[in-house]
Amino acid sequence: MFHWIVLATSWNILSGYSGYFSFGHGAFFGAGVYTTAVLAGSYGMPFLWTLPVAAIVAAALGAGLGAVAFRVRNVRGELFALLTLAVTFVLATIVLNTPIDGGPGVYLSAVAVPVLAPSESGSFYMMALLLAVGTLVVAYAIPKSRLGLGLYAIHDDEDAAEVMGVPTYRYKLIAFAISCARAGVAGGIQSLFVSYVTAGSTFNITVPLTVILMSVLGGTRHWAGPALGATAITLLLYASTAADQAMMGKAATGAILVAAVLFMPNGILGVRRRGISAQPAVPLPSGAVPHAERVEASDETRDGARDAMRSVPPDAVPAAARTATARRAGETLLSVRGLHKSFKGVRALDGVDLDVREGEILGVLGPNGSGKSTLINVVSGHYRADAGSLRFAGGELAGLPAHRIARAGIARTYQIPRPFPKLPVRDNVALTAMFGAAALDRADANAAADRCLEFAGLGGQGQLRPGELTLHQTKFLELARALAARPRLMMLDEVLSGLTPTEIDGAVELIRGIRDQGTTIMFVEHVMRAITALSDRIVVLDQGRVLAQGEASEVMARRDVAVAYLGAAHA
Amino acid sequence: MTFPSGTLLAQSALSGVFIGSLYGLLGLGVGLAWGLLHVINLAHFAFAFLAAYLCYQLASVGGMDPLLTLALIVPLFAALGAALQWVLERFDVSPLNSLLATFGIAAIIEAGIQWEWTADFRKLESVYAGRTFKVGVLFVPLPELLTLLLSLILAFGIWAAMRYTNLGRALRALAEDAPIAAAFGINRRAHALVLAGVCGALAGIAGVCLALTYTLTPSQIYAWVGVVFAAVMLGGLGSALGPLTGGIVIGVSEAVTMAFVSPSWAPIVSFSLLIGLLLLKPERS
Amino acid sequence: MLELRDLRVEYGAAPALWGVSLAIPERKLVCIVGPNGAGKTTLINAIAGLHRAKSGRIVMDGTDMTSLPSHRYCSAGIAIVPEGRRLFTRMSVRENLEVGSYTRAARKDRDRSLDYICTLFPAVRDKLDSVAGSLSGGQQQMVAIGRALMARPRLLLLDEPSLGLSPLIVQAMFGAIREVNAAGTAVLLVEQNVANALEIADFAYLLEEGRIVAEGAPNVLFNNPELRRAYLGIVPGH
Repeated sequence: MFHWIVLATSWNILSGYSGYFSFGHGAFFGAGVYTTAVLAGSYGMPFLWTLPVAAIVAAALGAGLGAVAFRVRNVRGELFALLTLAVTFVLATIVLNTPIDGGPGVYLSAVAVPVLAPSESGSFYMMALLLAVGTLVVAYAIPKSRLGLGLYAIHDDEDAAEVMGVPTYRYKLIAFAISCARAGVAGGIQSLFVSYVTAGSTFNITVPLTVILMSVLGGTRHWAGPALGATAITLLLYASTAADQAMMGKAATGAILVAAVLFMPNGILGVRRRGISAQPAVPLPSGAVPHAERVEASDETRDGARDAMRSVPPDAVPAAARTATARRAGETLLSVRGLHKSFKGVRALDGVDLDVREGEILGVLGPNGSGKSTLINVVSGHYRADAGSLRFAGGELAGLPAHRIARAGIARTYQIPRPFPKLPVRDNVALTAMFGAAALDRADANAAADRCLEFAGLGGQGQLRPGELTLHQTKFLELARALAARPRLMMLDEVLSGLTPTEIDGAVELIRGIRDQGTTIMFVEHVMRAITALSDRIVVLDQGRVLAQGEASEVMARRDVAVAYLGAAHA
Repeated sequence: MTFPSGTLLAQSALSGVFIGSLYGLLGLGVGLAWGLLHVINLAHFAFAFLAAYLCYQLASVGGMDPLLTLALIVPLFAALGAALQWVLERFDVSPLNSLLATFGIAAIIEAGIQWEWTADFRKLESVYAGRTFKVGVLFVPLPELLTLLLSLILAFGIWAAMRYTNLGRALRALAEDAPIAAAFGINRRAHALVLAGVCGALAGIAGVCLALTYTLTPSQIYAWVGVVFAAVMLGGLGSALGPLTGGIVIGVSEAVTMAFVSPSWAPIVSFSLLIGLLLLKPERS
Repeated sequence: MLELRDLRVEYGAAPALWGVSLAIPERKLVCIVGPNGAGKTTLINAIAGLHRAKSGRIVMDGTDMTSLPSHRYCSAGIAIVPEGRRLFTRMSVRENLEVGSYTRAARKDRDRSLDYICTLFPAVRDKLDSVAGSLSGGQQQMVAIGRALMARPRLLLLDEPSLGLSPLIVQAMFGAIREVNAAGTAVLLVEQNVANALEIADFAYLLEEGRIVAEGAPNVLFNNPELRRAYLGIVPGH
């Protein structure tokens, strides 16, 4: 049973947390089995010494596979699952046909079992228990760490996570290696336990499938979920070990899996957790407060963002940004030169030159398809520019991965909000505080997240899931998230679309408040009322080029701008 | 390695074509469901084995001609396929969860088969078994030939239906842009049920072919999964002719490896192909 | 023929509609203009049955369509040319057009409709067996219009047909739209090219922030200061 707990929990570290479903756990388990079998059985290495080697071999195998697979952007979801499955079979064939196994299998009966308890079975029990506890501790610690939060974000929306500053590639590799190392050690112990290993019984599809079943049943988002699922299923299998009951056990396992997927796609612990978070969600419009100490915040929520602004605690202001503004207001913060980006031959950006000055609010306008969103996507690193330079605060951004750009001090919001749906609202915001320019540790990030949520009029909503917010609140969550990164430049992509006119007024106040704290803002918007109210300067894009820039009322009165907007005939 | 003789090479290539056609036949249903319905159906393999056992039962105990059992098996499995789709749709199951749920269903069917027919090996002794032709220097077994013909007919039939019938065009339109297809009057749910029924029927036909050519045992269900997925990926999701092509490429390469290197090295060919394909051309699916 | 009564639509982050009422009479060409993000696409998608209304009514020929599933809208006589064309890019042009005439009523006239479309857009005739995804933007737009016409609609919905096309092709496109309308099909046109659209329209609405803020005859609306304010944020002369 402990054996399965280890396997299920270690699988979950990669697959449950980051969402990369691996069907290759059998391969990494098998790598451990054979490392120990060969070293201890054939070369007489002391058993306990083989376990670290088994861990290293399995981790190296996983990291190697990950290094290749994670570089290919499209290998996600089902494709990743298939890939890992295929690796299992290839590894099995290699093991079977090389001296590692050679066909008949490897015996370990001559290997001494280390004495950890009075009896031999007791020793196995102790080893498995130690490993299980160790694995659970790791699984418990990860969600509390930077790594864990980053992995959860990757699970929910990998591209957005990268843009928020999560080094996705590195994190996935680390998780893969940890997960594989644990499976390798489990394999090592297993090989001594069964004392005779064959390729057929080691590398098969039952190991990964059982492991996945256990984790899904228990709940993949919770550190204890896989262990719970493993316990439930092993008990079930033990209860039906008698020969004629084995079939029933199998059928029951299948039926449980079907029922689990259909009725509780989030697992046992997922269902329980949803029950908890649903409670504060009910009286949402009146600004429910789950914690007594946030009474003040609830009033602000009710009265909207405008009032929230007045009571912002002074330390919500990014101090670094404020001094920087004082020092260099009006100087060029971002300088875009000759920026080109094409999609399948369509030139979305066709040589854009523009400057964003420290401390200003720059409105970016243009008809549909003029390249506004592409501009934001290229600056934030979501897309790579075909040509051109992006100088930001003295450094070159073009070609950097998105998470480095976020670290450099650029944050963005998405036109269609992309919160991480399975993370609580507060963690959504804390994430950017940790991975963005602010680079806070977990505790400071939580405090910063609470301040930013209050600032955005979402105080007291921190424990909800983003799906429980209204569209208006979700848009404000995007703003809070960008703010928490303490960026020097914030890029807003149509934050106002879909809001009612009164909500738009609140958002305009909020954006102005953000700038007053010293953050430079570049925003793409269509609501003219908001543009005139907010922007110091505007830039009009047309067909991927800058058509005009300057003060709003001047630019919009120009004839060529009117033509771009209204068409040629009468203008 | 001994120098391969021409006859041996041709004979093993031919047997590769035969087994490849069965990979392709199984892959046809899997690929259509995956590409057009976004369901990764592991239960497809269990359906096929269930059909194989039914065919065995009807033919060896009931004395029916194995090919005549198709008349019963095809409608039955079409209904099963549609029912499965109805349930998956009803619960709005994601592709990944469909993989898990259908694995559960496969386990239940496996247990059911074991219950009814035990885990012993079963081989259908029919009028077709053991009949072989000799074409030139090559031996052509009749059951395998039947499988190949059925696969070809079905693959080309479905290819033509996808191209030339309103139903087929509607299914392709739905797969590409379901909301717009619906705006032109195509009922997505009804079409999904029909397609799932076709996939179920394909599983039934593949099962009869299995019964004709192979010795059956319940645990064999999973032995086919890897290779058939490789064939589907190789040929392209949702394609009618792709899985058959992919299956035959894999079958031949396996058979040739088997004949000239060693039978135990055979799996590495198909899975290496699959890995390479996933890493080099992931956008195909 | 078609009537919207106080239609409210909220569709995720797409611009929402906050109570839109309008009418499209038989055989007329009605145009909806408004700045980006005003909700024009949301409106046209709601009329095509692609978005569900939260409240309000969509009434076609006196029948309430609001709660019907989207595949029933087509047989009621409504066909859409969606924003960004959304052709079935992996299928041939002919197949795209045939999918357009999927409904039983339209299927009967399939050959005649196909002929009509090839006369309307001669360029389409040469491309019938090409894969739709390989066509140029202008050709794709013609196929998208053709696909909708294959459904034999009485109301044709056009969402930004000029987007991303060269001025010459835009002129041809507007000519074709006028021709279709003259043959008796009512048209609802959503267009960012205000000048072109108002030139061919019989009646026009100005949509801003999810509400109708002005309506009237096209030339009157074009000189309405509201229009310039909505688009450019300025009122000339102030």
